[in-house]
Amino acid sequence: MIKRFFDWLKQPLGLIAVGIVFLALFSIAAYGLYTTQQSPEQPIQFPHKTHVAFGIQCLYCHPGASKGPSAGLPSQAKCWACHNQIQKTQTSALLAPLKDAVLSGQSIEWVPVAIVPDFVQFNHRAHIAAGKNCEDCHGDVSQMNIAENPQVMNMGWCLNCHVESAGEDQEKLVKLTDCGTCHY
Amino acid sequence: MATLNDLKISEVKLSEGEGGKWGMVIDQDICTGCQACVAACAMENNISFVGEEDSGYGRSMHWIRIERFWEGEYPEVKMTPNQPMLCQQCGSAPCEPVCPAFATVHSQAEKLNLQVYNRCVGTRYCANNCPYQVRSFNWRDYKRPEPLANQLNPDVTVRRRGVMEKCTFCIQRIHKAQDQAKAEGREVMDGEFTTACAQACPANAITFGRTDDPRSLVSQLAKRRGHGAKHLEELGTLPNVTYFKGG
Ligand code: HEC
Ligand code: HEC
Ligand code: HEC
Ligand code: HEC
Ligand code: HEC
Repeated sequence: MIKRFFDWLKQPLGLIAVGIVFLALFSIAAYGLYTTQQSPEQPIQFPHKTHVAFGIQCLYCHPGASKGPSAGLPSQAKCWACHNQIQKTQTSALLAPLKDAVLSGQSIEWVPVAIVPDFVQFNHRAHIAAGKNCEDCHGDVSQMNIAENPQVMNMGWCLNCHVESAGEDQEKLVKLTDCGTCHY
Repeated sequence: MATLNDLKISEVKLSEGEGGKWGMVIDQDICTGCQACVAACAMENNISFVGEEDSGYGRSMHWIRIERFWEGEYPEVKMTPNQPMLCQQCGSAPCEPVCPAFATVHSQAEKLNLQVYNRCVGTRYCANNCPYQVRSFNWRDYKRPEPLANQLNPDVTVRRRGVMEKCTFCIQRIHKAQDQAKAEGREVMDGEFTTACAQACPANAITFGRTDDPRSLVSQLAKRRGHGAKHLEELGTLPNVTYFKGG
C-alpha cells in the first residue's frame, strides 16, 4: 500500500501534486508571517502624521510617559476639545466613530501595537528622565498614519541598549541587566 | 589525600555568601497570629485561591504563613509564639544552585532571591531544596471568578500553571519607591514604603527596611533587641529575616 503510494509519487502527476502541496504550505506560512508584520486595524484611523504636524507634543496626548510606567492613550474628551470645533468632524467618515464615542460615552478600544508581555515590567519615566526620545524606541511616529511598531521589542533589544547606556558604570550595568529589574 | 569528611563544616565554603540589602525583623512576642499579613500578601501579589480540595493536598500558595507549634504533653500543652514564615531571601540560597534552568537567581542589584517566572519550567527542585518550605507551585490555572479579576495588581505578573513562586519582599514596591525617589532626585528614605505584610500588620510586628544602613529602623531594632534569631542559620543560608521572641 505504502509502496504503491511512493511509486505513484514518482510519476510526473505525483511530482506535480507534491509541488502543489509544497507551494500551498509555503504560501500559508508566508501569509502567516506577513500578517504578523501588519499593523492591526484600529477603531479610528487616527493619523499621527496629521496631528504631530500641527505641532501637538507627544506628551500632550501621552502624558504618562514622563510621570510613570505607562504612557497612556488619550480619551475621547481630549480629542473632542479640538474636534468639537472643527468643521470636518461633522462630515468626515473617518471621524464618525469618534462622534459616536463622544455621544454614547463609551470608551474607544484602541488595539495595542507597542506592547511587551505581562511578565515584563517596563517603565517609561526612567527612560524619558535618562534623556531617551520617543523615536529611539517607537520609530518616527510623526510620519505614521496608523500606529505601527517598527521594532521587535524583545529582551535582546532592551538589553542591548541597557548595556550600551551603562557604559563603564559597573553599578548601573548590574542594575540594568538584573533579571529583577524587568521580571517580577 | 584529604576527603570531604576531613574538612570541618566551618572550612567548607558552600558558596559565596552575599551581604544583604533589604531585610526584615519580626517580633513574635507581639504577633497575634491574626493572618492579616497573609491576606494582604495574597492581595498584593496576585496569589491564586486554590480552593478546598487542592488546599487539602497541601497546595495552598501563600507566600507567608503563620506557623504554630506546641510544647509539652497533654494536658500541659503550651503554644509557642506565632511564627510568620516567609522566604528568608537567603544570601547563600539553597534554592538557587539546584535550578537547572537558572530561573531562580540572585539579584546583584537588590540582593534578593529572584524567581523569573517566564524562565521557570517547573522542575520544583528549588522547593524541595528550600529548608524553610516557603516556595509554592502552581499546580493548576486557578480560576478567578469575575469581579475578583479586577483586583489584580498590575505591577505583578499573573503566574501560570507549572510555575514556581515565592515571596519577593514586594520587589514591585521597592522599584516603585526607587523610581519615585529618583524622579524627585533623592535617595529612598527609610520607612517611605514597606511590604504588604508589614503594612497590614495591626500590631506592627513586622518591620522592613535596609539592613545595610545602620540608621534604618530594622537595623536599630536588631541592635536594641540584641538577641534576634535567624532560622536555620547553621545551614549557612545567611537569611535576611530576624526573629525575636521572649524578650
Ligand atoms: C492628538 C493626540 C496624539 C498625539 C499628539 C500623539 N499621539 Fe500617539 N497615539 C494617540 C492615539 C489616540 C493612539 C492610539 C491609536 C492608535 O494606536 O493608532 C496613539 C498611539 C500611539 C502609539 C502606539 C501605542 C499602542 O501600543 O497602541 C505610540 C507608540 C505613540 N502613539 C507614540 C506617539 C509619539 C512618539 C508621539 C509624538 C511624536 C505621539 N504619539 C503623539 C494620540 C496621540
Ligand atoms: C489639537 C487639536 C486636535 C486634537 C487634540 C485632536 N485632533 Fe484630530 N485633527 C485635528 C485637526 C486640525 C485635523 C485636520 C482637520 C482637517 O483636515 O481639516 C484633525 C484630523 C483628524 C482625523 C482625520 C480626519 C480626516 O477625515 O482626514 C482624525 C481621524 C482625527 N483627527 C482623530 C482624532 C482623534 C481620535 C483624536 C484624539 C485622540 C484627535 N483627533 C485629537 C485636531 C486635533
Ligand atoms: C526605552 C524605549 C521607549 C521610549 C524612550 C519610549 N517608549 Fe513608549 N513604549 C515602550 C515599550 C517597551 C512599550 C510597551 C510597554 C508595555 O507593554 O507595557 C511602550 C508603550 C507605549 C505606548 C502604549 C502603551 C502605554 O504605555 O500606554 C505609548 C502610547 C507610548 N509607548 C508612547 C511613548 C511616548 C509618547 C514616548 C516619548 C515621550 C515614548 N513612548 C518613549 C518603549 C519606549
Ligand atoms: C534606547 C535605549 C533603551 C531601550 C531600548 C530600553 N531601555 Fe530601559 N533604560 C535605558 C536607560 C538609559 C535607563 C535609565 C538608566 C538610569 O536610570 O540612569 C533605563 C532604565 C530602565 C529601567 C529602570 C531601572 C531603574 O533604575 O530602576 C527599567 C525597568 C527598564 N529600563 C526596562 C526596560 C525594558 C523592559 C526594555 C525593553 C522593553 C527597555 N528598558 C529598553 C535605556 C533603554
Ligand atoms: C531590560 C529588561 C530585561 C532584563 C534585565 C531581563 N529581561 Fe527577560 N525579557 C525581557 C523582555 C522585554 C522579554 C519579552 C521578549 C518578547 O516579547 O519576545 C523577556 C523575555 C524573557 C524570557 C522569554 C519568555 C518567553 O516566554 O518568551 C525569558 C526566559 C527571560 N526573559 C528570562 C530572563 C532572565 C533569566 C533574566 C536575567 C538574567 C532576564 N530575563 C532579564 C526583558 C528583560
